[in-house]
Formats: sequence, structure tokens, C-alpha cells
Amino acid sequence: MPSTEYLFVFAQSHEEFRVPELLSISELYGFTIGFNRYANVLEKAVKRPFMILTLDNEEHAKILAQRCIMIKSVHEFYAEGASYDALHEHNCRARPQWERYIPDTSFKFYVLGYNFTISQRCQHEIIESFAYMDFLGKIDMKDPEVTLTVFEEYESDRAPHGELHKYGEFKQVYFGRLIVDGTARALIGTFNVKKRQYFGNTSMEAEISLLMANQTLASPGKLIYDPFIGTGSMAYTTAYFGALVYGSDIDGRQMHKTPGIIRAAAQYGVASRIMDLCTFDVTNHPWRCGSLFDAIITDPPYGVRAGAKRLGRKKLREDRDRFQYASPRPNEPYIPPTKPYELSQLVTDLVHLARYLLRPGGRLVFFLPTVSDEYAPLDVHAMLCDGMELVANSLQDFGSWGRRLITIKKTSLVEYPPPSFDSVRDAEESGDMYVPAHKDFREKYFQGFKKESES
Amino acid sequence: MVRLITHNLLACHVKGCTTNNFPLVFQDVQVELQEAEFNPDFIRNMLPRLEWTALVNAAKQVGDTSLPLEQPDMMDDELLQKLHHALMEIHIIEGAMVCQNCRHAYPISNGIPNMLLAEHEIG
Repeated sequence: MPSTEYLFVFAQSHEEFRVPELLSISELYGFTIGFNRYANVLEKAVKRPFMILTLDNEEHAKILAQRCIMIKSVHEFYAEGASYDALHEHNCRARPQWERYIPDTSFKFYVLGYNFTISQRCQHEIIESFAYMDFLGKIDMKDPEVTLTVFEEYESDRAPHGELHKYGEFKQVYFGRLIVDGTARALIGTFNVKKRQYFGNTSMEAEISLLMANQTLASPGKLIYDPFIGTGSMAYTTAYFGALVYGSDIDGRQMHKTPGIIRAAAQYGVASRIMDLCTFDVTNHPWRCGSLFDAIITDPPYGVRAGAKRLGRKKLREDRDRFQYASPRPNEPYIPPTKPYELSQLVTDLVHLARYLLRPGGRLVFFLPTVSDEYAPLDVHAMLCDGMELVANSLQDFGSWGRRLITIKKTSLVEYPPPSFDSVRDAEESGDMYVPAHKDFREKYFQGFKKESES
Repeated sequence: MVRLITHNLLACHVKGCTTNNFPLVFQDVQVELQEAEFNPDFIRNMLPRLEWTALVNAAKQVGDTSLPLEQPDMMDDELLQKLHHALMEIHIIEGAMVCQNCRHAYPISNGIPNMLLAEHEIG
């Protein structure tokens, strides 16, 4: 087990994405993170912007800070407390960790409040209270050898009685030495959708595209596939981390004429990592064999702004000749008919397709929209099948609905046959069908998520 | 920009077309060379998934005869470089890929293969 404690400071958004991201990147680089402190309270702890985790060495902290989008900074952890007295007492015991900086190390001291702005005067007093550390080196605000930081954590923007916080009403105070600032967060600006050469109204925002890419364990030489590539949001971030990316979409319009995806990829310097873009319906796909990809990453269209389609017709009308439209007129591009693709069926099919197309150990990463009041964990477990295991399930909450970033790993070494894409219909016919809350998500969305009894 | 690696991974998927549906044969192709980063590990990892003879023939069809007819047991750096060039740097920009069994032609336009099937071709 790793032994040294580090203080992690996180960006205050997408709380449920932090721990899965840390675990993914540590797995990618082959080291472990100790969560010993949170053995039974991890669910509560992830809501807070500070975590104290153990690592084998500083290099691991640096790797995480370079790659994890949610990390603001990582510090060598010295002390914490519910009061300054407790903090100082703890810090005195941590003396062996910092005494080597006493004789001749230039330093800088920072005081930061989380959910609270600490006045200059108070900051000064706090810094003075650390005088017993007796650092003899010079204070250097520009380029110090060590940076020491105090973080005061206030519960929320407002005190419990609704008024503004008063100074000192913090929940916990932390103290440590800065090891590294999170550099991956700057990528959110790099991949800003508004500055992209090519995007659409369903393009995924930059921060989430980066978080998704990290869940795939994207790295140089990996082969990754997006079966609903759309405007390519996740292709750019996965390719940026070195992976080679295939994309397909039933709608070829988005890809034709100096494909926009290639233009946008060129903007990020990753055009040569877009392997190929193909037009086809994933339920009638031309992949010659399985076990091809290290990851499948996708944001399936779930029908609010763009509905999912698959080849076929809604219902065959018996009063019409079924081959009436079947062959194209000469010199006219043939556009085959499509029918809607219901979300829960699409998701079940996607898991089965991933089991066929992924290499052993490969990951499927996708978003599942859910109705907040109706969601049950079984909704996610019911979509799994033999050889596919849930790795992470992180909610992005929009109130009455939300979307969950699902990470599933192919644990089986067995090669599976291609899926039938009729799994749901087969189950429906046999009558033992679990109905997840995301079934008919589109209809529920446009009904404002009212229960039937209310409407 | 259909690369030869892509060509090697796609088969005709028309309903009922299950024998002799790979490899697809290039027709009236327009070829472009584009440099790509050399990653020998990636090539080595992909090899078990590739059909060697189909690759050699496809490369020949677009004018690259650098690959040996039989897959060598040992992969030296020179061969990996040749494979890299054939698989990753040769792009088909225009033309079609035709199934030798059912004659379905998959058009390639602006580098994008249209693998969509017609209504009577799906299962």
C-alpha cells in the first residue's frame, strides 16, 4: 500500500467524476492510490473539494496532475484540523516532513478559503501563526523553492442560518506543501467548442469530452472507436492523448465534403490520428471481426435534440408493395429508410456490440440519460451481460433529469459472436424483461418527466 | 482517406453475403499519400487481426509492392516500417470497394466509404 499522504484539491464541478478519473489514470500508468481514510465514507467524501489520498511517491502525483481534468493542485499533506489549534498541533507532529526546509530554503505562504474570501489582514495573522516553524530561508513570492498553502473549507457559500459566513466558521482547515498544479485543466480551454472549426448543436462540451477520454485510458497506440461519432467531440480528446480513432455514423452528411471532423482534428494537430470515418448504421456494421478496439467511446443520440436512427421501417404496411422504394432511381443517391432506435434497446445493443468489438480488458464509455425520480441502480446493472463489468457510474445532474457517464470493462478473455441487435425484442417476447427508467427517455423528456398519474 | 488498414477490417455485410465477402476489391481509385506517426507497438498489436494476403494484394492494387507474399515469422524494424507505410499512409480518396461475391459496390467519396445498405440488403 502507498504510504505518503497527499492533499488533493479538486475543481468544484462534476463531483462524481473525480474518483473514477483518478482510478483510471492510475490504472493507465500502473500505480495505486490509497483511499484508506475513506474506507466507509467515500460517497460522502467525494462531495468535498479536498481529499487526502496516499501515493508511493511524488512522481505519481505529477502524473495525475498532468492528466486528470478534475485536479486543481496536489500537495504534500502536513496537517488538518477543525480549528487552528488542532491544525498546529498536528503540524508540529509532522515536523520530520518539513524540517529539512528550515535552514535555507526560499518559500512562499498562501492562504485560501473555499467558499469564503479571507481578508488580507486575516491572511496575515494566519501566516504569522505558523512562525513556530521558524523557516530561515528568504521569502520569495515569484519563484520560491517551496510553496506552503493553508486551505480553509467552508461548508457552502452561506452559513447554516442563511447569512454570510463569519471568518473562522470553517469546517476544516488543511496545510501542506505544493507539489504540482493541475495542468490538465487548461485543456478545457484548448478544446472549447466555440473555438472549434466544426461543431453542431449536440457537440459535447470540452470538459466532459476530456473526462470521457480519460475513462477510456486513451494513450499512444491504442485503437478507439466511436459508433455514433456525430461532430467528433470525443475523437479530438482521445486522439490528443495519443489514441488512434475510428468513427462511424448513420448520417453521412456530417462527414462529407472535406470532412469537418478532419478540419477540427487538424486544428488540434491530431488529424493523422483519425484513422477513418465511415458511413454506416451500427446495427448493420461491416467490421470483419471482433476484439479490435481498446475502447469504445460514444454519446448515443437519445432523442432530445437528435434522435437515434437505425436502418429499417417503422412498420411494414401490408397494403403497400414492400419493395416499392427499395431500388434507387438511376443517377440519384440512394437514401435508405430509417426508423427510430429506442434508447434502452440501443444501450443494451451497445453493450453487446462492445463485448464483441473490444479486446479483453477494453472499455466502453458512454452517456446514459436518466430520469432523476425514477432511476434505480438496477437500470445500469440490467444492461450488463456476461463478460462485461461496471467500472464507474458518475452522474451529471440537471435536476429532473441527468446523464450518467458509464464505464464498462470487458473482463472476459472469450471471443464473443457478433450481437443480433434484437436482444430487447427477444427478451420482450420471452416475457422476462426488466424495464429500466431510461426506456422511452425521449417521450418522458417532452412530457416534462411527469408521472402518468399527474398528467 | 480509406487507409489499407481500414480496408483490411471491413467486409461486405449485405444480408446473406457471408462467403467470399472479404476482401473488397478497389475500383477506379484515386490514391493519396499522407504521413503518419510511426508506432511499431500499434502495428505489432494489430497484426494478429489482419489478413496478410488481403493486405498484400490491396497494396499491390494501389501500387505498393514492398510487402512479402508470405507473412514472415519475425518482424524486424524495416518490415514494420513498410507495414506502417502500407497500412497507415496510403489513403484512398475516391473510388469504390466492390464485393466479389454479391457485387455490391461501396462508394468512397471525399475519403469516406459509404457502407450503408439498401432496405432489401439488411437482415
